[in-house]
Amino acid sequence: MFKNLHLKVGLFVITVLVLALGFLVYVLHARGFFEQRQHLNLAAVSADGISPGMPLTFSGMPIGQVTSVTLSEAGGIVIKSEMSQDGAKWVRTDSTFTLDKPLVGGAKIKVSSPDLSSPRLPDNATSLLLVSDPTQEIPVLIERVKNILTNVEHITRKDGELNGTLANAKTITGRMSGKYGVLEGVLGSEENARPVVASLKNLESLTNRLNDVSAKVDAMLAKTDRWLFAEDGLSEQSKQSLALVRAMLTDAQGSLKRVDALLKNAVDISANVKDGTQDIGKLRAEIDDAVRKTNDLLGDINRMWPFSKDVDMKLP
Amino acid sequence: MLAAALTNLPDEQAAVVSPDLPLRANLSARENIALIPLYQKHYDAAESSRQAQVLLDRLGFADIAEKRDPDMSPSERFVTKLARALILKRPKLVIERPGAMLYDIPYPGFIRELASRVDGSAGMWEILDFDWNHSLYD
Amino acid sequence: MEFLLNIIERTGAKTVGWWNASYGVLRFMTEVLSTVANPSAWNRATLDTIVKQIYFTAVQILHVYLIYVTAISWVIITITLSTARNVGLFDAATEMIIRVLLLELLPFLTALLIALRSGSAINTEVALMKVNNELDALSHCKVDPMQFEFLPRIAGGVASVIGLTVTGSVLTIILAYLSIYGLSVTGLSSFSATISSVFSFGVLLGLGLKCAFFGLAVTTLPMAAGLETPKKLFMVPVSVLRGMMRVFLALVLIEVLSLALKYI
Repeated sequence: MFKNLHLKVGLFVITVLVLALGFLVYVLHARGFFEQRQHLNLAAVSADGISPGMPLTFSGMPIGQVTSVTLSEAGGIVIKSEMSQDGAKWVRTDSTFTLDKPLVGGAKIKVSSPDLSSPRLPDNATSLLLVSDPTQEIPVLIERVKNILTNVEHITRKDGELNGTLANAKTITGRMSGKYGVLEGVLGSEENARPVVASLKNLESLTNRLNDVSAKVDAMLAKTDRWLFAEDGLSEQSKQSLALVRAMLTDAQGSLKRVDALLKNAVDISANVKDGTQDIGKLRAEIDDAVRKTNDLLGDINRMWPFSKDVDMKLP
Repeated sequence: MLAAALTNLPDEQAAVVSPDLPLRANLSARENIALIPLYQKHYDAAESSRQAQVLLDRLGFADIAEKRDPDMSPSERFVTKLARALILKRPKLVIERPGAMLYDIPYPGFIRELASRVDGSAGMWEILDFDWNHSLYD
Repeated sequence: MEFLLNIIERTGAKTVGWWNASYGVLRFMTEVLSTVANPSAWNRATLDTIVKQIYFTAVQILHVYLIYVTAISWVIITITLSTARNVGLFDAATEMIIRVLLLELLPFLTALLIALRSGSAINTEVALMKVNNELDALSHCKVDPMQFEFLPRIAGGVASVIGLTVTGSVLTIILAYLSIYGLSVTGLSSFSATISSVFSFGVLLGLGLKCAFFGLAVTTLPMAAGLETPKKLFMVPVSVLRGMMRVFLALVLIEVLSLALKYI
């Protein structure tokens, strides 16, 4: 029995030793301890987001990694990286190196080799690192969207211009349908006449502002389009997210345009009292809808990119 | 009183066989005895085991070598303890309260017989027993 | 007033008790270390007992352990993979599995298993040895139980935790590979790249040290608790309870410390 015990323990210990040693050798092998490594230096303007251990990928497959990031004598950044011989064969003299920082997941250096027939890059070669970083652009986009929404909020605030205007318009139409009809509405007293003029002016500036908003949204869309269709611009995920933003912005834009049209209608209120009174209720509903939609939009953006600053947008 | 007398004895001078000094329960008789040459006198395992077996043979209990404490009869347990004390090779051997260990046989005769078997290597034996058992030794 | 005095007295008693216990554990540890450092302690007989202890602690439960590792690893790998797929982080799944399962969960569960099975047994045995006077008998014979009772169990415990963790880890790596890439060698290079990026030499060393400390904790703490047992039979369960509680606290402490060292 004792001999059997020794045999079993011996077997166990040997197995463990073999497994441990095998694993060590495997890790050493995976780290490229046993093969000639090819070195590559990349020059960059900034070391932002680059850290040792970051992978180099070719067509999404890892072929090497960053070993160190140092500051050169000239003040530039030198990124030292190494690749296995197997991975180095994908790196050619005309290869480009792009720092890819996706919205989610770790950053990596993408190697693209347009022409695999060109000669291989020699050891210790130096190349330039390009930076494509949607995360740096996204906050700008968000800032713009926020501006638009602030405008919308400003227009539709409880004590805002639009409400005042609408209230005034309501009063006027009420008077017009009253005992003295149009006469009281138009002449009334001076106090009554002043708000009418003021509100008409307000409405004018409001329309201008809304036009601005539309223009901004259009600009945004153009920019989004540029991103969407730019080559090598964004990762697949960001593209999808931006497509969503586009759809939502189009939606918001549609609502705002309707508001615009309705406001134009309201400006013509004295000419078309009857239509005006009907439209005022509709207008209010439309504005509410627009604000709700833009609110949703902000919520969605926040959900997709959780790095948002404090967004404060309340329904009036 | 007995216990007090015992604790005053320096360990280096006397090997004690006592109900208060049990065998190591998960080791066999031979292993219990062999512990001393093995870990105190630094013999190797085979030699220690051999010495233990020789001692058991001389005491006439060669067949209990593989038994563990719970499987032994009182006299077998006593013999193992005695062998463990003998292998310490101290000048004096003290048997404390033999009646508490050898309750199934007339122990004065049994102890005398064991002593005669290991005669020559035993040194001085001393038995500590209660007054009222004095007549048993006559 | 008396109430306040009572509280202070109780706090004092607790502190003293805690201090005594820690002191006992520390003294025992230093004794163990001095025996380990003593070359004469490492003779053939000690090695034989160590072999026996490795058999009882590791080999005897190897098949149970492997089944248990397979089950746990498979469940966690599957959950990680499907979650990673859902949130679009599939690339990170391999690293997540290695970091969570291999570096943290597996060593901890192994230590817990050894503590439950062997730690409690050691605690009971030492407590019984103490209560039955067996330790006094050994000291009367001038034989130090450290060398043939305690040291082999500690060495066996450490070796077992390390050995079982190594076997379990290799099994888990194979399982993870099979779950991600199936029965093909196409994923080998990217899998190796992830493994190499996680297992730096510092991490490997840290993992080994952690396992060693786990092994030390699951054996020495029950022993120290057993040695503290008063010579009363009914105190044996209490001693085991205390010892196992300390083992658990020590395991958590080692785990937290290792995580803190790694990520902070």
